[in-house]
Amino acid sequence: MFNLKKYRKKSPWILHYNAGSCNGCDIEILASLSPRYDLERFGVINTGNPKQSDVFLVTGPVTYRSRERLVELYTQMPTPKVVVAVGSCTCTGGVFREMYNVEDGIDRYIPVDVYIPGCAATPELIIDGVVKALDILEEKTKDLEDAKQLYAKPKEQDGVVNLRDSALKVGEHEKD
Amino acid sequence: MELKIRNFLVTSFVVVLGFYSLYLFSISSIFSYTFSYEMHIVISVLDTILLVYFLAQGIKYKDKLVYILASTQIILYGAILYFAPNMQGVDILSDELSRVMFLVINIVGGAIIIYALEYIESEDFSRLKKNSFIVILILFLGVMNTLVSTNNIEIFFFLFELTTLCSYLLIRYRGDRVAVENSLRALWMNQVGGVAILFALVFSISFYNTVYFSELLKVVDGVFLIPVVFLVIAAYVKGASFPFQSWLLGAMVAPTPVSAILHSATMVKIAPFIILKLSPAFSPLLSITISLFAGFVFVGASIMALNRDFFKEVLGLSTIAILSLIMALAAMPSEEARYAAIVLLVFHAISKALLFLQAGILEKNYHLKYISDIDTLADKAPRTLFFIIIGFASLTLPPFGAFISKFLAIEAVTSQILINPLYIFVLLSLIIGSVFLVILYFKIITKLLNKEAFKNSLKEKLDFKYRLSSNILFVSLFIGIFLVNSLNILEILIPLILIFISPFLFKYFLFKNAPRVKEYNCGEKGEFEVGVYNYALSDDTIEKMMYISIALIIVHVVVGVL
Amino acid sequence: MMAEYILIALAPVIGGLIYGLERVVRARMQNRQGPPVLQPFYDMYKLLDKHSSIVHPMHVSLAILHFITVWAVVALVILGGNFLYVIFLHLLSTIFIILAGFSVRSVYSHVGSNRELLAMLAYEPIFILMATAYYLLNGSYDIALIRANDAQILPLILIFFAFLLTIPLKLKKSPFDACEAHQEIVGGVEIEYSGIYFEFLYMAKWLEYVFIYMLLLLFAGNNILLGFVLAILVFLLVNLVDNSTSRVNIIDTVKIIMLFGLSLSILNILGIIYV
Repeated sequence: MFNLKKYRKKSPWILHYNAGSCNGCDIEILASLSPRYDLERFGVINTGNPKQSDVFLVTGPVTYRSRERLVELYTQMPTPKVVVAVGSCTCTGGVFREMYNVEDGIDRYIPVDVYIPGCAATPELIIDGVVKALDILEEKTKDLEDAKQLYAKPKEQDGVVNLRDSALKVGEHEKD
Repeated sequence: MELKIRNFLVTSFVVVLGFYSLYLFSISSIFSYTFSYEMHIVISVLDTILLVYFLAQGIKYKDKLVYILASTQIILYGAILYFAPNMQGVDILSDELSRVMFLVINIVGGAIIIYALEYIESEDFSRLKKNSFIVILILFLGVMNTLVSTNNIEIFFFLFELTTLCSYLLIRYRGDRVAVENSLRALWMNQVGGVAILFALVFSISFYNTVYFSELLKVVDGVFLIPVVFLVIAAYVKGASFPFQSWLLGAMVAPTPVSAILHSATMVKIAPFIILKLSPAFSPLLSITISLFAGFVFVGASIMALNRDFFKEVLGLSTIAILSLIMALAAMPSEEARYAAIVLLVFHAISKALLFLQAGILEKNYHLKYISDIDTLADKAPRTLFFIIIGFASLTLPPFGAFISKFLAIEAVTSQILINPLYIFVLLSLIIGSVFLVILYFKIITKLLNKEAFKNSLKEKLDFKYRLSSNILFVSLFIGIFLVNSLNILEILIPLILIFISPFLFKYFLFKNAPRVKEYNCGEKGEFEVGVYNYALSDDTIEKMMYISIALIIVHVVVGVL
Repeated sequence: MMAEYILIALAPVIGGLIYGLERVVRARMQNRQGPPVLQPFYDMYKLLDKHSSIVHPMHVSLAILHFITVWAVVALVILGGNFLYVIFLHLLSTIFIILAGFSVRSVYSHVGSNRELLAMLAYEPIFILMATAYYLLNGSYDIALIRANDAQILPLILIFFAFLLTIPLKLKKSPFDACEAHQEIVGGVEIEYSGIYFEFLYMAKWLEYVFIYMLLLLFAGNNILLGFVLAILVFLLVNLVDNSTSRVNIIDTVKIIMLFGLSLSILNILGIIYV
């Protein structure tokens, strides 16, 4: 059977999520889809839907409101998937590090594959980062990946893996 | 124990009736019979008693309309008896049309009576009242059977009023205030139909000197069609076209077997039956008038149903719509249109009866009357849900009978357009009305199909009689597809296989190696409560539609004298 | 005969090529480069390689039935069946996807299904009037007969324009793409599908393209050159309109298409009868 893995690089579909950012990095991401930088020539489509995307582009230091949704969206993405943290805020918290209202970057919640620095990250850096992420995507397996916090391990019910309750609300514990 | 004996007797009786009507359908002779003079006297006396009973009900409930209409009927009937020519002719004439109607009445009516045996047990009435329910239903079958085979307009009037009586008694069966009000409304509106028949008799006697359908069809010429027009107006009343639709919608408070047998499958079918019987006598101008009016009612009723929440009311409005469609097709002067009308009549009766039976099961077992209360029916009641979806699909989709009739109808109307271009509006109303009906049926499924992720179909516990009646109707839908013979085998098989393997697909393909995941709500965790979309017509649009329909009926009368 | 069966089997591939070519043409119109022409097939391979997740099995089964029905519709058109019947079988396929949309508890899915139902109000009458016009001109609904006759686009010119109005609605392009509405309701019915199950919907979209272009080719009858020219012109026109207009909401979509489409069709039919 021919190698299906190389086609993961040829059609990366992106989910773009803003976890509380100032929108600077969002504007740069949208600029890279415009005719000047044209990410669509690589087959990139900006789907708004976790179920149909491979690359999770996140911006923003994680605010309280957005952490549950971050984990929920990450859970709904089917494997193989890569997470790309765009901008310094997403990597380490940026200028907002150790403030009372942010969680200092997404890697406390979900495993990150590529970190793109910059405030705001330029489109060329973003394209470089996405290309690196695609190389990592090609090597990944189809096993389920867990998030780090606000996450319950998926249970089996009738022989089927049940991810419906895996992303938890703040304050919920893992149910046994 | 005696309950079981009674149920067994009734069931075997209706089964025998069903098989006998199938036998009659397969032979093709015409049967005729003449009543004796004494029989005519008996019928006249019974008719007068009936009209006096209506008058008494009007006085008892102080309902002016019932009182006035009953008195008008008594006066007119007395005049007719006095002036009627003393002639002998054939009273019972059973031709092909009657035999098709026998099939519908006995098989569909039989299945509903089996259903009613169980339905009425779960009501809270005395033994006598429950038994009388079944008795009235069986008597009603007899009345309908005679009505579709009679040739004498006076006897037709008597049987028409008898069906009004059955309707009145059965709508007020539950005895509460709403039921009594609605039954009185049904009574006076149906009496308008009775008055129309009496006017038709008056004109028929004075101008053509006959009280027989067959003679009337032979001697009426295209110029003076007034008796025919009044009979058509009586058909509009019985079939609850605009502006008479409120009696049918009000009648939905009756127990469900009543709604199924009277107000969808058999009694209201008198309306297209009259038009089919009289259509050889129509002038082209009358045909186009009836078709345009009926097309207008078809589209109007379908749109009106888009904001109703009471499930049986939705079914009632779509019955009105499809009855008007059958009437529009029956009035057209071509053979193919008549054939399409008969096919639609038969299959609509079966499908609507099936739908009403499921509505009754929903009401009795799950206490669900309004659509907005229904949720996750796919887990609690998969079999009922399947029958409801098949019921809706059989009225709109290939390969079922109602679809075949629409297919034939489009061909027939298209050929008529070449003769009279006004038929293009009939075609338009046919197409647009069908799309509105599809939208209506499938928007209801919004609430029905929501399924929880991990519950695989439970067994639904239903009483044997409920299952038997639904299965009889379901199987006859199927067999009917092959009997109609208008599509080639490939065209029948593709959708049939697709529609019928779907439940098996749902049961056996469980996709076990795919993890189950939550729906996308932008990452939110709350459950989404599903609502149904409603498209409401404003009240003055509805008022305008009523005025237009009254105006069109007056146009009918004018056309009758031209 | 053999050629028709091969054509039916290859219909998704042809649809995929048209879809890919369209993305390139749209990109060039916007002065950018655009993905390679074989991009839909790369998408297909990638989707086959995902560990797909579903909401519940009925939802997925209905999507697979929808795909099979659209393929059956295309097969019937190629084999030359009854035009009116093909339109109603297409209605059955739309009903399957509407049922699929209604069977999950997702807001966007329900909104998408509802808009599909309403959109049906816009295009069904025009298709049936088109079938009626063909019947009046040719005497039968048989597609094989229509294809064997001469080009009938001139007597049917107004219906051709009405059909052009419904093409953006069926192909989910601006200004009439409220049913899919990618940034508004995130794809409508497609939203809950992932991996290989999304592939079925994706391929159903390609087959829809094939269906619409085959209906377009019927206007050219047996004149293959005219059909080819028509297809290319309409292709460019639809993409030009897609690039330059914005989305109209669903009620206005239905009103516009019904008003203009129905009046043009009726005028054309009256013209056929009297001229």
